[in-house]
Amino acid sequence: MPSGWWLRKRHYFLYVVREFTALPMALWLLWLLYEIKSAGAGPAGYQPPRSIAFVVFSVICFAFATYHSGTFLKLAGVIMHVKVFDRPVPSKVIVLTMFGLWALASLVIGAVLIGFAK
Amino acid sequence: MSHRSEASQHRPALAHLFWWFLFANGGGLAALVLPVHILVQGILGPLGVPVVDQHYDTWISILGNPIVKLYLLALIAFSFFHFAHRLRYLLVDFGVHAAKSLPAQVIFYGGAVVVTLVAVWVLLTTAPIKLP
Repeated sequence: MPSGWWLRKRHYFLYVVREFTALPMALWLLWLLYEIKSAGAGPAGYQPPRSIAFVVFSVICFAFATYHSGTFLKLAGVIMHVKVFDRPVPSKVIVLTMFGLWALASLVIGAVLIGFAK
Repeated sequence: MSHRSEASQHRPALAHLFWWFLFANGGGLAALVLPVHILVQGILGPLGVPVVDQHYDTWISILGNPIVKLYLLALIAFSFFHFAHRLRYLLVDFGVHAAKSLPAQVIFYGGAVVVTLVAVWVLLTTAPIKLP
């Protein structure tokens, strides 16, 4: 395959971006693991993230993570075959349900992360 | 076709099922919950919005909850199996055929296992478990 195949068509490029989303998301989760670990240093040793560099890093990761969410949840309509009362559920309904779940999960987790703060 | 090969064709591919279970759940879990973690803890918190990890007391308190520990373990572990699979196949797509080899599989999926074990260790040793 020629080296620049993924730049030839928009569809190929978006496919590569979709697969690449794994890297920034992995880096952000490694940071989260580090932040959990650093809580073990005690109140004097714990430094909460406040730098602008970290915000920029997170904004980049957020863009990739939302792209992953959009593409992955859309795929659910293709992959999942659900029957209710012996009738197949249309893929559109499955995709809408997945996006609804995403919104609900975001609300609940956002509420926990902010609601339990000082 | 011999009875033996016929039987092996009908045997459920359990290993395949196992890896796909990890891949699909990791992708789904990351899709549903990772953006809000990044938005709240990575962007809003550092910009001044009160978030649990901005104060030691609230952060260590929530980390002591066993349900939170299990949730974080599932999020990190499943996601890393998903990431390992995607990144390995991305290398294959870019013409790195060595990414299909057994050593590459050991490196990528072994890496996910290592991250999972580190996450278990970190979650068990950082904040003592407190029952709600």
